Amino acid sequence: MSKHHTTDNLDYPSDLNLQKPLFAVGIVALIASFVGYFLDHDQFFFSYLTSFSFYSSIALGALFFVMLQHLTRSHWSVVLRRIPESISANLPIWALFIIPVLLGMHSLYHWTHADALAHDPVLQGKEPYLNTTFFIIRQIIYFAVWGFLGWRMHRKSVEMDKTGDWGLQTLLRRTSGPGIFVFALTLAFASFDWLMSLDPHWYSTMFGVYFFAMAFQCLFAVLILVVVFFWKKGLLKNTLQKSHLYDLSVQLFGFTVFYAYIAFSQFLLIYYANIPEETVWFLERLNGGYEYLAYFYLFGRFIIPFIVLLPKKSKSNPAIASTIAGLILVSHLVELYWIVMPVLNPHGFHFSWMVITSFLGLGGIFFGLFFNTFSKERMIPVNDPKIEESLRKH
Amino acid sequence: MKTENKNIHGILAEFRNPKELVDAAETVKESGYSEFDTYAPFPIHGMEKAMGLKESPLGWIVLGGGLIGFIGALTLMIWVMGYEYPMNISGKPLINFPIYVPITFELTVLLSAFAATFGMFALNKLPRLHNPLFNVERFKKASDDGFFICIEASDDLFEEKPVSKLFSDAGAIHVETVYDSE
Repeated sequence: MSKHHTTDNLDYPSDLNLQKPLFAVGIVALIASFVGYFLDHDQFFFSYLTSFSFYSSIALGALFFVMLQHLTRSHWSVVLRRIPESISANLPIWALFIIPVLLGMHSLYHWTHADALAHDPVLQGKEPYLNTTFFIIRQIIYFAVWGFLGWRMHRKSVEMDKTGDWGLQTLLRRTSGPGIFVFALTLAFASFDWLMSLDPHWYSTMFGVYFFAMAFQCLFAVLILVVVFFWKKGLLKNTLQKSHLYDLSVQLFGFTVFYAYIAFSQFLLIYYANIPEETVWFLERLNGGYEYLAYFYLFGRFIIPFIVLLPKKSKSNPAIASTIAGLILVSHLVELYWIVMPVLNPHGFHFSWMVITSFLGLGGIFFGLFFNTFSKERMIPVNDPKIEESLRKH
Repeated sequence: MKTENKNIHGILAEFRNPKELVDAAETVKESGYSEFDTYAPFPIHGMEKAMGLKESPLGWIVLGGGLIGFIGALTLMIWVMGYEYPMNISGKPLINFPIYVPITFELTVLLSAFAATFGMFALNKLPRLHNPLFNVERFKKASDDGFFICIEASDDLFEEKPVSKLFSDAGAIHVETVYDSE
């Protein structure tokens, strides 16, 4: 056991059992969603896909964050690294939740229809990539890669807690290099598959970056909420300090601007060039009530966070930082809804309760899995060689 | 006395180490002096607090510069493209905010950067080609191993003898009066 300058108990308290109520909420809400399947199966699958991409983006953001911290040998983040590690460690289990999307391919993806394919030269041209078999193979590859990386990042880090073998961090750094490269490719293609191919005629070459920007922004929002929640419960009060929250807020602020830059670049190029086959995607999404969703997320995940997080004081204020983090997550859901739903209801906004139940259902499972993994190990990587510097941060 | 004081820049004292310098700065601050500065080969943690420095107003200057850029860019484009010289560009509206964004963004950044650079110059009273402290041979140590503090003659409370005494009491190893060069 190494010496630490922290007075906190580093074991997760056994009386704080959050995974059970979270799993309960998740299962009940998923059953409710499943009832919706018999009422309107198209609506069920579209709602499910919205929520599935929401939580997948957080898990993938966490995986990227962990690999990035290893690659850059960061000191500041060591004490909070166990949180994103425990999120992405569940990617192998999370892979099971792609199955409903695969079962709903016929409802979700227009290009799976044989009759549509027969009369559509554009779809015929894309057929070598957009076909059911290859789609399923790709999903297996993505989750094999992510699952392996997420599992390994967590597993070896936990092993270092027990053995104190510092060679493991070299091992993790060596995994992270190629890992981040493969991650970039798989994430981009996954976003093409899940979201962009909903409109198989439309394409945007920066859609992958766009999805990554959304994912990474939301990861910081989730980390801030988790840290503030732990403080409320009296966990790690002296270990995770104000300065750590401040750094998370700085990164949240930075990636808010990055997201806005990417999202707006995609919009501006298409808007300015004004080529019908490209503008149609935005035309559908800026009419029929969908424009209000666009305004909502424009303010919710860029303008308001940008102005509020600008002063130094609000970055280290737990109440302000967590409110903004919450607003960003809500806006992320609204934006994914805005991307997915116009395919189902092209003529106008139509709300369904299934969006809420699938969001709560997958959310319960997602965070239940997180607390389940997190509660089993020490809450910080106690034997990491950089931990002292992270604890002494001010 | 006035004529004699005219050429005095201030009184410079040297201390043994950073710790003593911080303590001396604290004493000087508590004695009511405000026109003084400390010089050391490296940044010393806690010095801003000991000297009683307030947070730099630079952030507000940058915000001002950024806002001028933001409002200026928008006003210019709305005026020119909407009223003064309206042109139909691929059938888009004359006042069209999406296409204003890049230029508004660039001008906001440009004027913020100008405000940051020149605001920093102004706050540090730069450019300044010569400082009377350079007349003191010993002061060269400030970039090597010397820890100095100087109370300037422009301070309202400045008087040669009490200031020298204050420094000696605070444990200075060397006290010297600095004169403006002719």
